[in-house]
Amino acid sequence: MKRSLRAWLWRVPLDQEIEEEIDLHVEMRTRELIARGFDPAAARERAMARMGDVATVKRTCVDLGRKRDREMHMAQWLGELRHDLRFTLRQLRATPTFTLVATLTLALGIGANSGIFALVDATLLRPLPYPDAGRLVTIWETSGTNTRRFASAPNMLDWNTRSRTFEKVAGFTPNVGGMVMAGVDGMAETYSRQWVTSGIFDVFGVKPIAGRTFLSSDDERRAHVIVLSEGFWEARFNRDPSLIGREIKLDGILWTVVGVVPKTFTILGRTSFWAMRPILNLPPRARGGSGLQVVGRMKPGIAVAAGQADLEAVAAGLTREYPDTNTGRSVRIEPLHDTMIGTDLKLTSMLFLGVVGFVLLICCANVANLLLARATARTREFAVRAALGAGRRRIVRQLLTESVVLSIIGGAAGLAVGWGILEVAPRLIPDGLLPETVSLKFDARVIAFCAFAALGVGVVFGIMPAWQATSFSSPEVLGSESRAVTGGGRLRSLLVAGEVATAVLLLVGAGLLLRTLIAVQSYDRGYRAESVLSMLVDPLGSSYPTPEALQQFLDQVEQEVRAVPGVQDVAWSTALPLGESLYGDFALTYEVAGDPPVEESKRPTTRYQVVSGSYFSTIDLPIVAGRAFDSRDRRDSAKVCIVNEAFARTLGGRSPIGMRVGFRVAGSREGETNYGEIVGVAKQVKGRPDEPKDYVQIYVPLAHDLSDDMLLLVRPRSGDAAALTPAVRAAIARIDKEQLVSVRDITALEDVEWSATGRHRFRAAMVAAFAALALALAMVGVFGILAYSVQQRVRELGVRRALGARTADVLRLVAVNAAGVVGGGAALGLLLSLVLGRLIGTMLFGVTPFDALTFTAVAVVLAVTAAVSIAGPAWRASRIDPAVALRDR
Amino acid sequence: MPTEPSKTPNALLHGALDALLLKTLTRGPSHGYAIARSIEETTGEAVQIEDGSLYPALYRLERKGWVEAEWGTSELGRRAKLYRLTDAGRAQLATELATWKKFSAGVSKVLFAS
Repeated sequence: MKRSLRAWLWRVPLDQEIEEEIDLHVEMRTRELIARGFDPAAARERAMARMGDVATVKRTCVDLGRKRDREMHMAQWLGELRHDLRFTLRQLRATPTFTLVATLTLALGIGANSGIFALVDATLLRPLPYPDAGRLVTIWETSGTNTRRFASAPNMLDWNTRSRTFEKVAGFTPNVGGMVMAGVDGMAETYSRQWVTSGIFDVFGVKPIAGRTFLSSDDERRAHVIVLSEGFWEARFNRDPSLIGREIKLDGILWTVVGVVPKTFTILGRTSFWAMRPILNLPPRARGGSGLQVVGRMKPGIAVAAGQADLEAVAAGLTREYPDTNTGRSVRIEPLHDTMIGTDLKLTSMLFLGVVGFVLLICCANVANLLLARATARTREFAVRAALGAGRRRIVRQLLTESVVLSIIGGAAGLAVGWGILEVAPRLIPDGLLPETVSLKFDARVIAFCAFAALGVGVVFGIMPAWQATSFSSPEVLGSESRAVTGGGRLRSLLVAGEVATAVLLLVGAGLLLRTLIAVQSYDRGYRAESVLSMLVDPLGSSYPTPEALQQFLDQVEQEVRAVPGVQDVAWSTALPLGESLYGDFALTYEVAGDPPVEESKRPTTRYQVVSGSYFSTIDLPIVAGRAFDSRDRRDSAKVCIVNEAFARTLGGRSPIGMRVGFRVAGSREGETNYGEIVGVAKQVKGRPDEPKDYVQIYVPLAHDLSDDMLLLVRPRSGDAAALTPAVRAAIARIDKEQLVSVRDITALEDVEWSATGRHRFRAAMVAAFAALALALAMVGVFGILAYSVQQRVRELGVRRALGARTADVLRLVAVNAAGVVGGGAALGLLLSLVLGRLIGTMLFGVTPFDALTFTAVAVVLAVTAAVSIAGPAWRASRIDPAVALRDR
Repeated sequence: MPTEPSKTPNALLHGALDALLLKTLTRGPSHGYAIARSIEETTGEAVQIEDGSLYPALYRLERKGWVEAEWGTSELGRRAKLYRLTDAGRAQLATELATWKKFSAGVSKVLFAS
């Protein structure tokens, strides 16, 4: 305490301090020597000599003095900080309601932000969980307008060997399928399997935790080899190391387990094991095919554009060498990160980040408001301190300490809120929104974000009230009669108006997304069945070697299931009327027989779906012209097809019925064209509610294009289709006596729809929740300033009452001020919405960013909630008893 | 160490300088010259404080918090920086005295061994 006094009283520069000391010393020593009999000149000389090198002495002392001052300042600063902290904690304990409200507000704001930060971090900031992930790219084949085609294996092999910019290129099939293995209890069980080419683990840079991964020699031998995921190895084989090198029977064939890779490794989709797909020495026609999603690892330091140019040159060479299959085909590469984190997810992350950012701003404004009110009430305290010698900076520092402490407490509570959000989030996020490789983690990065946010927030919302509270003149405050000076009212009104504007902005956003959701849910799907059960039935090829046997199996299953009580209709199909087709992006080119021939690469493409005769009645999809498939369409009958409305529209007004169309796999030879006569037109099915344009589609009868891996669709007479699952499975088992058929992907069609609209629901729900939070916070702000101003004006209002003001007058007096704040804020918010609405334009469907209905609804909601928050203080003002108000000081 | 004088009492005193300064200040606050003079007089001029090392020593003591400074008036009526012993300085002095006692007893035992 005494030491710190020096800082206040000791105001001499250091050099002068030491100079004076030495001067005095030499002077006194000289006098002493003169007194002893030396003559003055000699005395002075001796005195100087005793001091030695004055410059060095001074330098040493200045140096020591400087260090001393620094340490002293530090000690003083720490002492003040300790004092401020003690004082702050006492203040917070003394006003528990204030502390609780402020902490909760901050905890909500910071917590919501940290939760969303985890999402943004996972999707936008963090690299994918592979070594040197920046060098990984997806390589798509392109042909015509299709820029995201899966590649053919021979092309991929040539990219691998001929490119100079890639270390290695490998591929996998994007869909995860299943394989049947004898289960623990002897029953057949299906486990998920993904096909990969031999180099895939090397490309991703994944090291096995047991055994090895695939080698190109495996491919040369066309070996049946699999690599297990750690999770499957653990769950099914109890991490048995002796399994490596052993054979297990899958789909009736022996496969060798060569190794295990860590749990963290996923490509696209979760799978139990990876099976090697041999791609060496394929027949030449395989080059025309597709089906591999290709990933490449570029050499270090290669830019994506350079890799692109290199591969384009390779592809051009392949086109020259293999004109039959490769004409019109090229490549496009994109960073793997972009492939895995789609634009939709990026936009959603950015949207949420923006929204929670606004919520945090409102939280800050609210707490700043509370602090302002408190600081205003404490003006006298500050004036007294200033009068006692505390500088303005010192008082501001005290107040900043208070706000930072508050924000740290709020941040700690926010951390808990964020943790809670991340615990619950995975259950709320719709399937498929987040790729498998992305996980939301509560980690050091989130904690760091929280700490950073808390500190920033503490300074931001603290500095303004602190400055405001200290702009006064002490004598005026101390002399004034009132308990507090009503400063800062204007600032507080502005803050609340800003809060209202922000809340309005978020409400408009939520409104637009809700309208989108409604539009998405009420769109015309084309088919009318309410509930349909779907399951993938895979009669393994080897069990039913001939088309006749397969056809018989499918017919038998259909009959058996149709006989199940409660079943109304049954059908087979290669695709669901919603979501991805089994073929992925696979599409056929087509041409109308008799029309002038069109160059291969310019031919239109169509989706191709194989269905059994009862498909249209099962999902209740109307045939708008012609007929549905029926018993006339047998294996040996003339080829027929049904087209959809979008297809019919491409014919330029001609009637499609009776027309012949030729369709074939893009890139295949002319001779492989299939011709069929159009016998009917089916109503348009919308695969996705927000798809940009209607799909062109051709339906072909099952009898004319048999394949395994068929979807069985079952429609119940009434009620929930999922309830039929056990009965249907039992029916299939009665036909499949050897238990070799794999039945999987059991879903109800309505659940698939749900997941297709899931992201709209998720976005709308999240933004609506945050907007509601913002509205509530803003209204707390409105209530706060109003209640406070009524309290400040009790005396004035009392006088008015005493002078005969009616209740209505008082109400008006109080409400006009609040209405101005809310109205101004709302106007600003609506204006901002007009500007910012465009930013979410791509997420909207069936509604424009300037939707009048949404804007009106927001205005109404705001008016109602504002009325509620104004009502309390206004009622209180109207009940002021003049006698009490004037007596009570 | 070219500036270090050879075997004079001052050189021996080097380690004891702090203790001497602190001890002198127990008589009350005083400025640098007065401290030096007091030591010289007390020891009958046997110990001469090197004026050049006096001030760095005092600054060191102040930095350690054993003494603190205040402005006062010198005998000449001029402003003078006075050093005052702090509680920490008093405690330090006690430690130094104990150390010195032990040290000098040890040295004496060797030097005057018969």
